[in-house]
Amino acid sequence: MRRLALAVEGLAIAVLFGSFLASGGKTVLAGAAFSLLGLAFALGLAGQRGELERFWLWFASLLVYAFLYIPLIIVVIFSFNDSKLNAEWVGFTTDWYAKLFADQEMLHAALNSVTIACVASLIATVLGTMAGISMHRFKPRLLPFLVFTPVAMPEILLGVSLLIFFLNTARPLLGAFGIEMGLGLTTVVIAHITFCIGFVAIIVRARLAGMDESIFEAARDLGATPWQTFRLVTLPLILPGVIAGALMAFTLSIDDFVITFFTSGVGTKTLPLEIYTMIKVAVTPEVNAVSALLMVLTLAMIVTASRLAPDLMRAKA
Amino acid sequence: MGSRRTLRWLVGGPPFLFLVVFFLLPALIMVVASFRYPGEFGGLAPLFGARPGEDSGLTAESYRVFFGDWVYFEIFAKSFGVAGLTTLVCLLMAYPLAALIARRPKTERNLMVLLVVLPFASNFLVRVYAWMIILGPFDLLFNRFAVICGMVYVHLPFMILPLYTNLEKHDPVLLDAAQDLGANAWQRFWRVTFPLSLPGIFSGSALVFIPVLGMFAIPEILGGKDDWIVGNMIKESFLGTRDWPFGSMLSLMLTVAVLAVAGATSWLAARGMRRA
Amino acid sequence: MLRRASRSLLAAALALAAGAAFGASQDVLRMFNWNNYMTDDAVTRFEALCNCRLVQDYYSDNEEMLAKLAAGATGYDLIVPTGNAVEALIKSGQLRPIDKSKIPNLKNIRPEYLNTWFDPGNRYSVPYAYSLTIIGYNVEKMRALGLPTDTWAVIFEPRYLEKVKGKVTVLDSQRELFAAALKYLGYSVNESSEEKLKQARDLILRAKPYWAALNAASYFKELTVGNIWLVQGYSNDLYTAQQDAKKAGRAFTIAYSTPKEGAVFALDNLVIDKSGKRPDLAQMFMNYWLEGRASAELTNLIGAGNPNKASLPLIDPQIARNEAIFPDAENFKHLEMLRDYDRRTRRMLNRLWVEIKVR
Repeated sequence: MRRLALAVEGLAIAVLFGSFLASGGKTVLAGAAFSLLGLAFALGLAGQRGELERFWLWFASLLVYAFLYIPLIIVVIFSFNDSKLNAEWVGFTTDWYAKLFADQEMLHAALNSVTIACVASLIATVLGTMAGISMHRFKPRLLPFLVFTPVAMPEILLGVSLLIFFLNTARPLLGAFGIEMGLGLTTVVIAHITFCIGFVAIIVRARLAGMDESIFEAARDLGATPWQTFRLVTLPLILPGVIAGALMAFTLSIDDFVITFFTSGVGTKTLPLEIYTMIKVAVTPEVNAVSALLMVLTLAMIVTASRLAPDLMRAKA
Repeated sequence: MGSRRTLRWLVGGPPFLFLVVFFLLPALIMVVASFRYPGEFGGLAPLFGARPGEDSGLTAESYRVFFGDWVYFEIFAKSFGVAGLTTLVCLLMAYPLAALIARRPKTERNLMVLLVVLPFASNFLVRVYAWMIILGPFDLLFNRFAVICGMVYVHLPFMILPLYTNLEKHDPVLLDAAQDLGANAWQRFWRVTFPLSLPGIFSGSALVFIPVLGMFAIPEILGGKDDWIVGNMIKESFLGTRDWPFGSMLSLMLTVAVLAVAGATSWLAARGMRRA
Repeated sequence: MLRRASRSLLAAALALAAGAAFGASQDVLRMFNWNNYMTDDAVTRFEALCNCRLVQDYYSDNEEMLAKLAAGATGYDLIVPTGNAVEALIKSGQLRPIDKSKIPNLKNIRPEYLNTWFDPGNRYSVPYAYSLTIIGYNVEKMRALGLPTDTWAVIFEPRYLEKVKGKVTVLDSQRELFAAALKYLGYSVNESSEEKLKQARDLILRAKPYWAALNAASYFKELTVGNIWLVQGYSNDLYTAQQDAKKAGRAFTIAYSTPKEGAVFALDNLVIDKSGKRPDLAQMFMNYWLEGRASAELTNLIGAGNPNKASLPLIDPQIARNEAIFPDAENFKHLEMLRDYDRRTRRMLNRLWVEIKVR
């Protein structure tokens, strides 16, 4: 019975979604009506008390999943839309993807994004791992605050303070030594590292916390130096966490908008910044195309990360 | 042991140094900046040695303007309102899903959590843009409803995950005991599950409330003429009106607000734990 | 495994960085320009002429441009600021004086556009194009509703606004919106008295509930599609909207007019930024632009005002006759250029702007 209810719900959602393709507007109302109908039907079927509670859980959960995914599916679908204004569905075409690959600005931005993400995630992983180990072994007092606050506070604060720092302090300071500096790739990389360290540190520390201390003691008793302990014992054990952290940092860096917005300069367009300009000025399906491709990339990253560190999600909370 | 101390500095030193220079120092500079004059053409006026006709040095002018005008209080109140509403909606949507995932067998759980996190794989702006496409044909764009939709959509996973982590740890024995004692479904939820989940609720709420306070992109893209919040004002100060001291002062006020919320959340969470 | 992974990551990062750096060493002219302010053809022809690449970054508001420059955006060779922004840039010492011997085509510009108040003697700037901030509207709708289209009253007066509630947009620009309000009240657009600015603010707040949005980047698209019927906008944007609507075969026509109370006149100029790396290419571009053909193309494409004598024969006669694009002496009397405020007035204006955004 429950399965039937779920099937009806699924059908309703499919109709809702299909009606979007037909044309916006009133057909969606029809889909919504269908949905309610399915709900009533299912309610009638799942009459018993116990069934009802479980049914509600399932129904609400499916709605939430639908809520999460339908907008993204729509973005991908409309990337094949043969209409410049992208207000209604007109026809199918892969032109926008072709246009995307011919768009110099976009490719340059993509190159920047990947470069920044590689360098930033690399350095952040190294520093974050060191921070995680340090916090676990030595329990310092100030370090946790420095590491976790950039993660917890609104990004705009970090972006703005770095903007002031780079332009009002760093630039004159370096200028006194004859070094000319402006906002650019370097400043963006530094900014990204600052908020990525925290993520890596959290993961590494959580992984260390779940480990048996006796292994390290055994290594020490056997006469290993701290470096040897690290290289031969600690590192292999925390490696999945480190790699998961690196992948998280990479994803966060590629996706970042707010901090990059404030710390980038001339010629340092990244993909999110490029998308932002396109959204504000001229929204064509090209935006959808680049979004769809970005989705595939970060999807691969997240899936890999979750394989390597299944506790990644819980460690965050 | 001398070597332990050197080890401690070797391992913890580099990240510590990096963060002091690129996080703590900029923060302190921003605090000082809020007490300076704006430069004639933007940015900050010099601290010493100004050219004739220019102001220099420290002043509390920005703060005077802020505290002397109701309108800024209104913006903060509005921002809190938007953040609060977003948190509430996220909570209502996240709870059933988190509860469901927590009750499924272990093998399914990881997959379901992954499915929750996957939309995160799309870029933040894309997720906002998706709502432009959806709401556009209904004429529901560029108003507060659209802003809340966007905010909820972007922050929902942050509420689901802490809730799930907490709910997963609940011992089913407690619920069985309650049932044996004659409690019905609603009572079981309200008097057993809910209080135990309070820490999860609070940490999830903090993870939603605080970022929303500082957002500007969503109100800018999805919002209409009335939907300015603190984040927009800060952004405008730096990239629009070139009044950096004012922007710094606003950022400080935002930090104070964030700390207040974080503090309140942990206090409430501690109290909740004591009660349960 | 980590070592191998980190080594290959490092190698990849270095390769990418090297690639990026290499790409940058090619001859590139960096320009900071308004959206939609140059035709693709003009870009291609210049690139062929100079054997270089022309890379543009865009802004949609002078304030945005000045803010980015104050925030340290360096590396642009050419910028296209409006008059008041040129003044600010000159005063802050950011511009490189131009070498007039390299720009013989300067003689093509009509004398009334040279020797401006912001750059006497044209030591730093040459005129690029100009635009007016006027009213654009959907002809059929305005006629059906019996609304006037030659006055700012239709944007600010509730008795008119009632009929078009939710179908009006104004520019999301402090100076432009206040300028329209000030002009309607009979004051100068550069008014700096607190009392008069507050009057303007009250006028705006009274009309705001009837407006759909404050938008500076995509408003004319809404006009073209028919969602919005009345806008405050830039003359070239409105011309583009008019042409787009015609091309798309819409059931309505777009028109625009200069309000009788007056409007903002914006003369955009080419200037060379000191931090730019290729001032030679920049001067080459200036001469190229002043020759007249590229700017005539721009006028024909988007209806940009053109101060160049040599462009006239190449301009579509329909456009040349259009008063909103080529104002005659009578209209000129009511047009005013914006001048930058001092920082106290700026801060006061900011506060009023916050009130407008919040209430």
